[in-house]
Amino acid sequence: MTLAYQAISWNRQKRVYDTVMAGGVLTFLAVFVVTGLVLHSEITAEALLIRALGTGAFLLLNVVLSIGPLCRVDPRFLPMLYNRRHMGVATFLLGAAHGGFALVQFHALGDVNPLVSVLTGNTDVQRLSEFPFEWFGLFALVLLFLMAATSHDFWLANLTAPVWKALHMGVYLAYAALVLHVVLGVLQAETSPWLVGVLGLGMAWILGLHVFTGWREWCGDREHAGATADGFVEVCAVADIPENRARVVTLGGERVAVFRYDGKVSALSSVCRHQNGPLGEGCVVDGFVTCPWHGYQYLPETGASPPPFTESVPTFAVKIVMGQVWVHPRPNAPGTRVEPAKIG
Amino acid sequence: MSAPFYIGYNAKMPPATAAFLRRWVVALFVAGAGVAVALAGLQHRYGDGQFEFGIVKSFDGIISESPYPNLIVRRPIGTDAKDVRSRVLLVAPGKHGAQELVRGLEGRAVTLQGSLITRDNQSMIEVRPGTIAVQAAAVAGDDGVPLGNFTLRGEIVDSKCYFGVMKPGNLKPHKACAIRCISGGCPPVLVVRDADGMAVYFVLAGSDGGAVSSDVLDKIAEPLEITGEVERQDNVLVLKAEPGTYRRLE
Ligand code: FES
Repeated sequence: MTLAYQAISWNRQKRVYDTVMAGGVLTFLAVFVVTGLVLHSEITAEALLIRALGTGAFLLLNVVLSIGPLCRVDPRFLPMLYNRRHMGVATFLLGAAHGGFALVQFHALGDVNPLVSVLTGNTDVQRLSEFPFEWFGLFALVLLFLMAATSHDFWLANLTAPVWKALHMGVYLAYAALVLHVVLGVLQAETSPWLVGVLGLGMAWILGLHVFTGWREWCGDREHAGATADGFVEVCAVADIPENRARVVTLGGERVAVFRYDGKVSALSSVCRHQNGPLGEGCVVDGFVTCPWHGYQYLPETGASPPPFTESVPTFAVKIVMGQVWVHPRPNAPGTRVEPAKIG
Repeated sequence: MSAPFYIGYNAKMPPATAAFLRRWVVALFVAGAGVAVALAGLQHRYGDGQFEFGIVKSFDGIISESPYPNLIVRRPIGTDAKDVRSRVLLVAPGKHGAQELVRGLEGRAVTLQGSLITRDNQSMIEVRPGTIAVQAAAVAGDDGVPLGNFTLRGEIVDSKCYFGVMKPGNLKPHKACAIRCISGGCPPVLVVRDADGMAVYFVLAGSDGGAVSSDVLDKIAEPLEITGEVERQDNVLVLKAEPGTYRRLE
């Protein structure tokens, strides 16, 4: 079991992040409520709160989903990613408040249990326009809850990375469910084309961003076509790699990060053990390859994390011939020591 | 190092990264506020109903149980005009009708306490349980006046929410609540709008004049056409038709 989750404490950056995020959420809610009261003086407080909280949760989810691809476009967004899970938890809390108020308002004090009412009140599944939109909201809320509850690295370690990652990809399912919740719910009554426009704009932004960065990634993933000799593949010139940084190439279908540091060159898998972060976009800090996402560290020669941590990534044989770096595409077992190639 | 490298567990981020993010955070705040104004502002009007929540008043009148509990009062509530009969629908707290509260009191003169719910020319009282006091023996109620057959297009709402307890109290977002309320006994009402958008309200009854609550649950909050006999019961219009003959409008 990893000890990594104990190493990350609540530092100043996290406090700033949380404060800014809470400020943003409260500003949104306040502006929504004040606008509602000014322009619709007849509205009741419950209805206004339900709409403000629901809208806020959905908007925040749009922000959460933007962070990943934005970091691929510009690494200066990375601090947003580092504490993204806090934003995910905040999204869940807003959604839960929205759902809770709606449950009390629309389903409590009736002739059946409120939760039963949500599931059995409207069961018109034959016609799309009448479909019980509450089901989509509830489904998304359950997913957001599971992700929020397992957001701590304790769960990442205990569920194992692939299971955890798969669970957290559920955020896209939650997003789709919430789009349906909005389209089949409030947009059946609120017919301003501007509201549809705002929703569409958000969807186009999220989709466009993902398609764009996915396409760039896909282009980068094309098998590196260099000269081969003795099973080694020519990757690049030593001079092409900035000091303490890496050059990422795809060899045998795997992303390999070739780091230059301290007069040496080492090659290791570019996929971080923590959450598959792009290790090759990281940096050598204090002699360790450091992941740009959450700062996990690996020794360049062995691909192993410094004790007491136990993560390790595969390494690759590497050599330098006449200023050119050559890498063997066969991965060594994670943590296997490989002699770095000396420059010059 | 070719560019400042950010590590989350360091106490400070590189200044260039911080400056970059500050600009984005400001932009996000402005965009968020703009979206909030747009989304809150672009909604429909929520309706003019009033619910005197927490204000309990005393009312005198004669109980009528059918098709839904109502109180026949001697003047329109809120005016001094005497000798005009007016009917006020009665409901219980929560999503419940007042059937249990008035059972067996048909035609009795009572005083009761409750909170007023009003919208347009419609009024309703949320009766406080345990406050109905019978004042006199049975008094014969008047029969309704038939106005003829009509085909009407509108939406079924639960009258309690629509008249003012919830805003908005109709259409899809409110559908499940309306189902709950009507299932609980609140009178189902067909809201018909004329060419100017003015609403006319028809309390729905079966062809025998009885309650139809459980038979309309799958037809609430969607466009409908109903053909039936309209009867005036004092100020209240009752539309008598079998729920099986209601026609959905696509
Ligand atoms: S993915 Fe989290 S540290 Fe690398």
